Amino acid sequence: MDWSALHVSLTLAVLTTLALLPVGLALARWLAVTGWAGRPVVEALLLLPLLLPPTVIGFYFLVAFGQGSAVGAWLAASGIRLVFTLEGLLWVSVLVNLPFMVQPIQRAFAAVPNSLREAAWVSGLSTWQTFWRIELPLAWPGLLAGMALTVAHTLGEFGVVLMVGGNIEGETRTLSVSLYDKVQGMDLQSAHVMALALVGVSLLALSLVLAFDRVGPLGRALQER
Amino acid sequence: MTGLQVQLRSASPIRLEAEFDCGAGELVALVGPSGSGKTSMLRAIAGLWTPADVQGHIRVAGQAWLDTAAGVQLSPQARRAGLVFQHYALFPHMSAHANVALAAGAGWSADDVQALLARLGLATLSARRPSQLSGGQQQRVALARALVRVMPAPTASRPDSAGSGPQDVPGVLLLDEPFSAVDAPTRQTLYRELAALRQTVSVPMVLVTHDLAEARRLADRVVIVDAGQTLQTGEPARVFASPRNARVAELVGIQNHFEGRFFKDQPGWGRLRWTDLPTCAPAIDLRVIDKNKIEDGTPVTWVLNGEQVDVLADGQAAPASDDGANPQGTRLRCRLVEVLSLGEISLCTLSPVGLPGQAITLNLTTRLLRRLNVEAGGWVQLLIAPAALHIMPVRASS
Repeated sequence: MDWSALHVSLTLAVLTTLALLPVGLALARWLAVTGWAGRPVVEALLLLPLLLPPTVIGFYFLVAFGQGSAVGAWLAASGIRLVFTLEGLLWVSVLVNLPFMVQPIQRAFAAVPNSLREAAWVSGLSTWQTFWRIELPLAWPGLLAGMALTVAHTLGEFGVVLMVGGNIEGETRTLSVSLYDKVQGMDLQSAHVMALALVGVSLLALSLVLAFDRVGPLGRALQER
Repeated sequence: MTGLQVQLRSASPIRLEAEFDCGAGELVALVGPSGSGKTSMLRAIAGLWTPADVQGHIRVAGQAWLDTAAGVQLSPQARRAGLVFQHYALFPHMSAHANVALAAGAGWSADDVQALLARLGLATLSARRPSQLSGGQQQRVALARALVRVMPAPTASRPDSAGSGPQDVPGVLLLDEPFSAVDAPTRQTLYRELAALRQTVSVPMVLVTHDLAEARRLADRVVIVDAGQTLQTGEPARVFASPRNARVAELVGIQNHFEGRFFKDQPGWGRLRWTDLPTCAPAIDLRVIDKNKIEDGTPVTWVLNGEQVDVLADGQAAPASDDGANPQGTRLRCRLVEVLSLGEISLCTLSPVGLPGQAITLNLTTRLLRRLNVEAGGWVQLLIAPAALHIMPVRASS
């Protein structure tokens, strides 16, 4: 088992989830209620990372922030390097995980009937109070699902990591990259252990998502805390 | 000025021409078909719907909730409208008590909320979630949540603020088809409870319903709404007996309305020509009372109130000379075209002699039909008293 790779993977997963939660929450709530005509375009942009090969995203990230680009040069002058660092990996990870965080939360907010918002307003609650006391408690399972999916997807990410982060031990070598190394080096014993660990974590995350689904008993228990 | 005054006008997204008022403690029913705009009017009062081009005002006890001339538009939160939603819109993650407490302002303690719930028969159910309550119980929780917005707070607030505190802001109770989602026996119970509640709550109450019987039973006055317009306002019995025009007559479910012409006759009396249709010549005239409201020779829409029509066997002499009640009635020989038996009542379609195409619908007791010894295809006589006829001017627009 490559413990340093596990550490990098977990760090990346936790930081990605924490960074993405407020952004995803704001985007999801806005998309769930807005009547703006440009909404489908925004949704399409958010879903794009699901369809694009990770190498495409990694490639454009390198083009945009590499040493050759104006932005990259300016960042380098400021002492910030995004290519082949954990920071850079975090940025691109947030980007590719947007659909995994936003989608479940958006669906959860959209499932809150508008009449409940109106009932809250005529009961004297401000829009902000309505969000905290009515909408968020009801959409809570969607938040958990988004977080679980983001963690699982970040742990499993491979292409983008290799493109943007490279394969630096203790910095950007994640579990999935390390697994690739082990297979290349014919160390099948270690490969088995890491593959099994990834399968286990992903299975756990997906089970959580489904357990906290709105219609499930756990989801309902959460809503009715 | 106490009570609620509504006067709204807008052209889009739907046409709206609403004008009605509702006194403190009065219950006014907005009645109309689906999509007539009655719920929109209710939502406008609550502040949940305000068309961009709206003109007019909504005032409660003299306070403007909306006044386009003065540029006033209060938010739903500031309006203090207790609104019972059609499907209750209870917060599913909260107990019945929490649902009500959320809407209760300062001056309501947890015990006060519990006392209100107890008054509505929910004393032992206040810890339950909406999903653990029956439809009727949910409806009562929704009613309690609306009531805490409009009832005076039980705990007297600071004595120095009497008459000016936020608790003293006048409220309005709004009920959006509150009885449509419960079964019939529960509805009867809720009717009684609403009637009892009115003894103690003296705010204006506006009820939206498409159910005429419900409006008739509960409301002090009804407002007939159609295509975004308030057509007629009045006591239920009055509106049902004297609809202002043919559309109102249709909306309140009056059968037997016809297009004819009114002529003046000897003082106090007039003649109602059944129809101007050339197929119905020679014309048949009915004797009516002249109330001096309609000019001689005016085209009119008129209604035949079936409850005031006597049905006699064909060839039977009129009993008018005996009781003397309706000596001026018009006698009309009719063929019984169709009889639909609905148990004790039979829905009968009659075709009068000399009036092809002019069908009359009457609800007759099956017993009467048996006594007259008549069935579909047979003949009867109608004795139409002047009081059975209600005449209205034809509407300007079709």
